[in-house]
Amino acid sequence: MTLAIDARGLGKVFGAGALAFRALDAVDFQVTPGELVMLVGPSGSGKTTLLSILGCVLTATEGELRLFGERVSGRPERELPLLRRALIGFVFQGHNLIGALSARDNVRLVLESRGTTAHAARAEADALLAAVGLADKRDRLPAELSGGQRQRVAIARALAGAPPLVLADEPTAALDAHAGLEVTELLTRMCRERGTTVVVVTHDNRIFHLADRIVHIEDGRIVDGRLSGVAA
Amino acid sequence: MTVDVAARLRAARGGRLRRAQATTVVALRMMLHDKAKLIGTTLGVVFAVVLAAQQLGVLFGLLQKNTMFVDNAGADLWIVPPGTTQTAPGQRMSTALLDQARATPGVAVAAPLLMIGTSVTKPGGGSEATTLVGFDLDAGLGGPWNIVAGDVAALRAPDALFFEDAQREKFGGLNLGSVREVGGHKVRVVGFTWGLQPFGPPFAFADIDTVRDLGAVPADQLSFVLIKLAPGADRAAVAADLAARCPTAQVIATPTFHATIVSTLLRQQLGITFGTSTAFGLIIGFIIVALSMFSAVLDNLREYGTLKAIGLTSWDLTRMLIVQSIVYALLGSLIGLGLVALMSAGIRGPNLVVIVPRTLVLATPLIMSALCMLASVLALRRVRRLEPGMVFR
Ligand SMILES: Nc1ncnc2c1ncn2[C@@H]1O[C@H](COP(=O)(O)OP(=O)(O)OP(=O)(O)O)[C@@H](O)[C@H]1O
Ligand SMILES: [Mg+2]
Repeated sequence: MTLAIDARGLGKVFGAGALAFRALDAVDFQVTPGELVMLVGPSGSGKTTLLSILGCVLTATEGELRLFGERVSGRPERELPLLRRALIGFVFQGHNLIGALSARDNVRLVLESRGTTAHAARAEADALLAAVGLADKRDRLPAELSGGQRQRVAIARALAGAPPLVLADEPTAALDAHAGLEVTELLTRMCRERGTTVVVVTHDNRIFHLADRIVHIEDGRIVDGRLSGVAA
Repeated sequence: MTVDVAARLRAARGGRLRRAQATTVVALRMMLHDKAKLIGTTLGVVFAVVLAAQQLGVLFGLLQKNTMFVDNAGADLWIVPPGTTQTAPGQRMSTALLDQARATPGVAVAAPLLMIGTSVTKPGGGSEATTLVGFDLDAGLGGPWNIVAGDVAALRAPDALFFEDAQREKFGGLNLGSVREVGGHKVRVVGFTWGLQPFGPPFAFADIDTVRDLGAVPADQLSFVLIKLAPGADRAAVAADLAARCPTAQVIATPTFHATIVSTLLRQQLGITFGTSTAFGLIIGFIIVALSMFSAVLDNLREYGTLKAIGLTSWDLTRMLIVQSIVYALLGSLIGLGLVALMSAGIRGPNLVVIVPRTLVLATPLIMSALCMLASVLALRRVRRLEPGMVFR
């Protein structure tokens, strides 16, 4: 079986010379298709750095990365946007919606930027917004939505075009405990329904039970990742 | 779930047109969303358009004052003293040139023109400078135009003159039939022109013999010879022929004479003065547009980063800024040209006409688009350098 994520010996050094800082060191990280993995670790341990490399928004200094068998490392930078469009949906810490666009248009933009026709994009955006419970709020601008609602729009956007991989960096950070749990439950449920592979970076032990597996990272190294079913 | 990566890559590679359309809409929405920046940037363009077009309009108006005689004399060719760069009283030539010209094949009409600087004595004392233009009434070349009162035929009467309407007050309340004194002779006003004021003293028109009398000019002298070509005659060939026959004078085609007057004025003070103020307007507008577009990008850096993260390319974002630049340019040009039109209508008078030629109107949106795109380079560099990974920060 082809792994969804197959990273071997990933390393990342920021800066150069005396200021060089090693954020990742020989990271091996594998995820099977459809698996939901949470990446946890202390602040500054390299979670975001690893997620950025997996999301093709940052390039590793060493090591090899394949997504669904497709080699990512070694590709020229200008091909990375294509990989992102083809394979990856993102949920950010902040909602990162485009403030000038309605909820629907934020979702549509992702679809249309992948070549979906306006009509089909509109229909899919509406279906996704209905699935995240925002059918009646689809014409609102992000500023007119609550934090939890915005994050749900962000989930709809991440799932637009049915990407096989969804990456989320602390999706609950800006939300209160209740909303955080609700949003993560929504994300995990929708991804499981679709068979989407998910990696979630989180500090939030109230959502650990939703993971298939929890990977621990410290000082840029994976210290514990083979355990599954760890609950708080 | 098995994932057909090749198919997904193929799909993501296509749809370029949809992506261009979608990002164009987003660019416009982002632009409209931030009203303050929209207004600020547009005002920058408006400022540049108004200042530059207004300055150029005044410049063209001033140039026109100096070329209007050449443009309206009705001649195809001019015989002028060598080195002539304006239609004003100057060195005189011999009337023998008229006979030379009339003997040249292809010349239908050769008419004399006499320009002298003189002054008109006012009833209450004092005098005003004027440029007397004597022309051949039968040939009809070099006579008055823009006539607002009187009939040219009235100039056949001895000592009859056409004056400039705008100077009526200055010449002591001129009316049709008013009598003034020029060079010790009584003259009578028989008509008025409108807006015929060169840089120098205003034109007053009369029959050439009247002007000779008033100015005591010998009968064998003239200022210029105006030539009308026979139908079908080749202007360049006739000009060459005339030049060979009149070695002491210069033969010049009307468009060339026009161009000579313009380039002479531009090389002098006029070009520098108006060039500087036009450039100033463009530069200020450029700076306003550049800074407000840059700050709009800084305000929305996270959004641009997000667009990159979801897979838009640097070129997609570049195109977004180009679209915004062009819309700012078109919007600003439209408003700016509208204001210039209003201002021109307000300023327009016999002494100063603001001329905004059609070419300038058409060129303005193009020039402004180029200017705005250039101004967006600062913003563009920031957007292109943006790391998509910043969205996780
Ligand atoms: N662009 C950068 N330049 C230099 N150092 C960086 C850069 N990005 C991250 N680092 C460093 O790399 C280390 C790992 O950062 P990273 O953001 O991956 O941590 P994290 O595990 O996500 O932390 P947190 O839980 O606080 O978000 C940190 O020490 C950070 O200072
Ligand atoms: Mg982090």
